[in-house]
Amino acid sequence: MVFTWLQLAIFLFMLGGLLFAGGPLILSWIIAPRAKGGDIGMSYECGMKPHGRAWNQFGISYYVYALLFLAFDVDVLYLFPVAVWYPQADGMVAFYKVAIFMGVLALAIIYFWRKGVFTWPRKIS
Amino acid sequence: MSQIPVELVKILIALVAVAAFVGLNGLVLVYLERKVAGHIQRRPGPFEVGPHGLLQPLADAVKLIGKQLFTPKNADGFLFWLAPILSFMPVLLLFLPLPFGPKLTGMNLNLGLLLILAFSGLNVLATCLAGWGSNNKYGILGAARAVSQSVAYEIPLLLSVLAIAFQTGSLNLSEVVAGQGSWPWQWNFMVQPLAFIIFFVSALGETNRAPFDLAEAESELTAGFHTEYSGMGFGMFFLAEYANMIVVCSVAVALFLGGWNGPFFDGAWWFLAKVYVLLLVMIWLRWTFPRVRFDQLLNLNWKWLMPLALLNLLITAFVTKLS
Repeated sequence: MVFTWLQLAIFLFMLGGLLFAGGPLILSWIIAPRAKGGDIGMSYECGMKPHGRAWNQFGISYYVYALLFLAFDVDVLYLFPVAVWYPQADGMVAFYKVAIFMGVLALAIIYFWRKGVFTWPRKIS
Repeated sequence: MSQIPVELVKILIALVAVAAFVGLNGLVLVYLERKVAGHIQRRPGPFEVGPHGLLQPLADAVKLIGKQLFTPKNADGFLFWLAPILSFMPVLLLFLPLPFGPKLTGMNLNLGLLLILAFSGLNVLATCLAGWGSNNKYGILGAARAVSQSVAYEIPLLLSVLAIAFQTGSLNLSEVVAGQGSWPWQWNFMVQPLAFIIFFVSALGETNRAPFDLAEAESELTAGFHTEYSGMGFGMFFLAEYANMIVVCSVAVALFLGGWNGPFFDGAWWFLAKVYVLLLVMIWLRWTFPRVRFDQLLNLNWKWLMPLALLNLLITAFVTKLS
């Protein structure tokens, strides 16, 4: 396995970030007061006693939307290697290929638009 | 005796410089934001600590450190504390490929742009964990909003960045900057004005800045995903947000506004000046526009930014092939 300077730099910078974030937290843990008792551990809901837990079922209407995102984000990622070579590629054929790819992507938006996802209904049939 | 490799020394110097830069900028931006906010609303802003309130950010930092770190009773302690650390951890790395000056770059990477885009995604995960881990209803709502918003605004962001990549054939930020001239009409935003606007609007959405700060909309969710965080836990999210603002502004400057190129004297000062102008615009927007509703926010993205970005990319591809 080839270990490049870039990989070392990534590790070191992440470690630096960890120390940068951890340092003040540890300092704060050392010098800050530690009050306890009473209702201090209660979830904050503007002073009212919390009704039930927050970890329960709730309708998240972003399901279809998450699918749309996945389709898009993964597909857009394929365009990065294309972009690097694109100016050197010869002829209009490269443009037609890219146009077809993006046309299919655009169809996804049109499909979901027509399906009514962007009116944010409670339930999408 | 073996010698210390030059590369290692360079990486370490870059790391220390970036950490200092992030910390210092955090202080400056806190002061700037409060001062600009004050003057926009016709009040002086912080004024008591030091001359013209200059020492206020330091006092704030000391206050944040002096506050108790508290884990709520119902929270998942591990995730709860993992989140602020995770939100800050990748931030320093985002500064690595940024070209501050002709020679002043952490590391000249041919995939610099991709590195920034990849690691900035971790911030969404941190926000999600913060909301979920704190077991708070406001927190979970804020996290759900943050995820669907960041996820949506990432795509026009990528598409507008791709327009530049298609045009220049490079993902190396230093090369993109070097390809632009010294005068404003030679910068990329003259040929890609639409991409620049789309990039800037999506960057506001990505960094959860007003008018798109629905993840922490204080009028409805008290503080959104960081409701339960006190003291330094909140401070980390705050610092990460400011650092992310600097990163998106720097990328915008490098891609669209000529980076370190400028009239008369090329250099890092032009880069910093442009970054700070963009940051001021972001702060200005925050105190000018009211917060949008959530479906408006998402529809703006899917119905306007996304089709426009796709169209812009297609036109760019076409014109690149013509010339």
